[in-house]
Amino acid sequence: MAFVPVAMGFDLAQGWFAGLKKELEPLGVNVISRDPNWSTSAGAQAVTSLISEKPDLMVVHNPDVQTYAKLLRRAEKTGIPVVQINMRSNYDSVMYVGADWVDIGELATNAVVTACQGKSNKIAIVQGALSAAASAYTLKGVENVLAKNPAIKVVSSQAADWDAAKAKGITQTVLKQHPDLCGIVGFWDGMDIGTAAAIKEAGLTGKVFLATSGGGEQKGACDQVKSGGFDLNISYDVPTQASNMASSIKWLLQNEGKTGTAKGSVYTTLIPITKANASVPGTCWKLSQN
Amino acid sequence: MNETITKDAGNHERLSDTLTRWRYTYWPDHALGEILSKRWMETAIPVVVLLLVAFSLAQVIPNFLSAASLSDTSRQAGEIGFIVLGMALVMIVGGIDLSVGSMFALTNFCALFLMHVLKWPMMAAIPVTLVFGAALGAVNGILIGYFRLRAFLTTLITLIIYRATYELLTADYATAIAGGMPDSEAWDFLGYGDWVGIPVVVYVYAAVALLGHILLTRLRPGWHITAIGGSRRSAYNTGIAVRRTVAMCYVSSGLLTAVGGIFFASRLATAGGDIGVGLEVTVLTAAVLGGISLGGGNGSVMKALVGTLIVLLIINGITSMSLDGGYNRMVLGAILLSAAAIDIRWLKNKHRIVSKVYVSPTYHSIPPAPSTAPDCGTAWALNDRLRNVSAIGLGRIEGPEDVILDRNDHLYAGSRHGDIIRFLAPDYEEMEVFAHIGGTPLGMAFDREDNLYVCIGGMGLYKVTPERKVEKVTDETNRSFSSINDDSRLRLADDLDITDGGLIFFSEATVRFEMHEWATDGLEARGNGRIICYDTNTGKTNTVIRNLKFPNGVCIASDGQSFLFAETWGCSVKRYWFEGPKKGTTEIVLENLPGFPDNINNSSDGNYWMSLVGMRCPALDLAWKMPGFRSRMAKRVPRDEWLFPNINTGCVLKFNEQGEVLETLWDMGGENHPMITSMREHRGYLFLGGIMNNRVGRIKLENVDPNYVQYDKRWGKIK
Repeated sequence: MAFVPVAMGFDLAQGWFAGLKKELEPLGVNVISRDPNWSTSAGAQAVTSLISEKPDLMVVHNPDVQTYAKLLRRAEKTGIPVVQINMRSNYDSVMYVGADWVDIGELATNAVVTACQGKSNKIAIVQGALSAAASAYTLKGVENVLAKNPAIKVVSSQAADWDAAKAKGITQTVLKQHPDLCGIVGFWDGMDIGTAAAIKEAGLTGKVFLATSGGGEQKGACDQVKSGGFDLNISYDVPTQASNMASSIKWLLQNEGKTGTAKGSVYTTLIPITKANASVPGTCWKLSQN
Repeated sequence: MNETITKDAGNHERLSDTLTRWRYTYWPDHALGEILSKRWMETAIPVVVLLLVAFSLAQVIPNFLSAASLSDTSRQAGEIGFIVLGMALVMIVGGIDLSVGSMFALTNFCALFLMHVLKWPMMAAIPVTLVFGAALGAVNGILIGYFRLRAFLTTLITLIIYRATYELLTADYATAIAGGMPDSEAWDFLGYGDWVGIPVVVYVYAAVALLGHILLTRLRPGWHITAIGGSRRSAYNTGIAVRRTVAMCYVSSGLLTAVGGIFFASRLATAGGDIGVGLEVTVLTAAVLGGISLGGGNGSVMKALVGTLIVLLIINGITSMSLDGGYNRMVLGAILLSAAAIDIRWLKNKHRIVSKVYVSPTYHSIPPAPSTAPDCGTAWALNDRLRNVSAIGLGRIEGPEDVILDRNDHLYAGSRHGDIIRFLAPDYEEMEVFAHIGGTPLGMAFDREDNLYVCIGGMGLYKVTPERKVEKVTDETNRSFSSINDDSRLRLADDLDITDGGLIFFSEATVRFEMHEWATDGLEARGNGRIICYDTNTGKTNTVIRNLKFPNGVCIASDGQSFLFAETWGCSVKRYWFEGPKKGTTEIVLENLPGFPDNINNSSDGNYWMSLVGMRCPALDLAWKMPGFRSRMAKRVPRDEWLFPNINTGCVLKFNEQGEVLETLWDMGGENHPMITSMREHRGYLFLGGIMNNRVGRIKLENVDPNYVQYDKRWGKIK
């Protein structure tokens, strides 16, 4: 089976890949990967060529909701079951395993709103890639909560394309314009390391509440929360996701993809990490262990 | 066979010579040089690289060259291919366009916005996007073409501006685009459809590439583009509209990028943040890999295509090999570096390599020359009969290769300035330019209507009417399929004669060398010349005899059905029948001459005058039997140190059709008239021409018809 993430070189993809191999290789499944290295068109090309190689199953991490949609439809038409991980496309394939982004958006924004009680009520949003599922749906969750809290004002909502340097640049500008900012909702901890760095450089750590989400890896999540960079990191725990995927895949491979019109979504149980539980062992997972 | 065979004492050809002769007759040494000098050779190296890459990737990656995979690769190649075409145009005109990546993103966005958000019909969205792309390119075009800003900096700035525009636009509209799917089957067909198994984009690309090729190679705007790229100032000086052409190239780049953007939009429908980032590097790599020069003035559609394919195969191959994504950039960068280095070296050294390989000497053996010693007792004995030659036009004419007199006794001679000079009878003191033709006028002849036909070296066969009007007769003949060089062109038309029936037979000395390289043909001794026939009745030209060793003088024989021709390096005179019972046959009239024969003309007593432009020497005779030696000499030694046939001294001889040499006229010591290329008998005098001389010579002959006029004798007096 083939695994196509947005890129192989970061903690989420590495964790998923390791988890899949651990569960599936003992059963004789050959797990291969392709690395588009953050390039949307390279990823599209990888998926296209994989379709002609006819693997038994594909696990796809969508960079946005549009690009792979037609391709995945074509894949399933030719009999390759597709499992979409964490970021889905406009096309619903047989299985989606991943976070419920609307939920994450609501959780994060609620935490920021609570932290902003009695302060300036100005918040900023650092989005990922505008048309990525993680970004678009999270934004929906954010807007749901904002609708109930009309006092909160969003002074900036820009896309950092999952890039830490861009996130840092955006946050620096926002903090200069609004030094009394009370909170930021970031859409991914991998990129929000930059957001946290900007806050720290402005000397506002602890005064600006940064809520983000991520895979829950030790260094990226728990350590950052412990050190105060993040105030809240909602983890969707990569090893859990990998094992969720593996179970679905085992079932799909046994049925040789002939599952009729059945479609399913396995939403990962979220672990909100705050200073309270950041030091508790087991909250986070270590990449080296896998 | 035009070879004479050396025999040893026992009258058998020496074995080593036989082997050498066979090896050099049957192995086509000359083919390599001729193939290398073809224009399409420059594209050959990238094509070889492409085949190598495709082959090695197919070995390593399963299904790499399967139909489905090729179809996908070709789809991508089509999209990027348009952009590479645009970049090629800009590079050929001497510029560079770094903004193609951002233009790609913007036009992609434009197409998606129109189709997904505004829901326009495809027939409206496509033209608008194309115009938009052209407008983006026009910004570059105006700045670089009209305001003469530097291309690198300007397009770098537009790269930044366009990308910032793209990011601003996508921030507002990306989700809207992602949300709305257009309802157009035609749009989907554009992105995914194929016809007879080949994707739509490939057909469109093929059409555009064909148009581009015709534009670049056959149409004036394409020549202007190449000219400007070669030298902008020279192009400006010749009156080419430089600014407009440069601007149009950038507009085309924008337009072609928009085409690629449209296909990309219909295929992937993505307006992500990284679309087109770094695309300019990929496109540049493709262009340089294909062989398009970064300096300008050199490039073609074929090169753009080959470069595109190589780059795409490599990118797809690396992605398919499950390697880390970073490898992609590294490998491409390394390839770009080495490709650029190899390409530059090849372009700089190509002429040197080709010229080293081109000269292909072959085996040529003639018996030892007969003695011309003053006491040898034959007609060849050296004498001083030309000591009393008087000079006409001394110091006033340069390079009269051939001389001829008309029925009114006026004397005509060619000059190296491309003029036909006429000296007026009876004293030949007054001289005038009869006509200016150009090139190097060589052999001349009059026809029945007193039109003067001239072989012009470097141009072809021309004629001058009695009213002094210059007309081209022919400058091409039929192309033979066995020749790699284009032998339909005339390179060195040498001498001619006209039959009673209006056929003109003329010699072309060599098809492998240009006129100024005649001596290298002597070094090769390969038999590269031919006799060509132009029929004045039908206007058709065709080649009659091939593979002659520098055919030179031509003279119609007494029976009117054949002509004599001399072969300068063959040191022989032969006779060819073009009519009558012996039609098509060739006989040897004179062979093993002691020198190199040039022009042949009639004498008053029914025999023939011929000049020997130079004398044979033992060194060259021996070297002609050692082609390996001459080949090594051509490769290792500078050109002006090569062995050349001597043309410093010669003579005039009279011979008959039976092959007997009747008399010879020399100038011992070369004091008065050293080198002779032609002679004409007229009213008891012999007029002498020499291509290196600064005069026409004249000497009184004893015991000849004092009223002999060549054309009156052949065709009767004019009424």
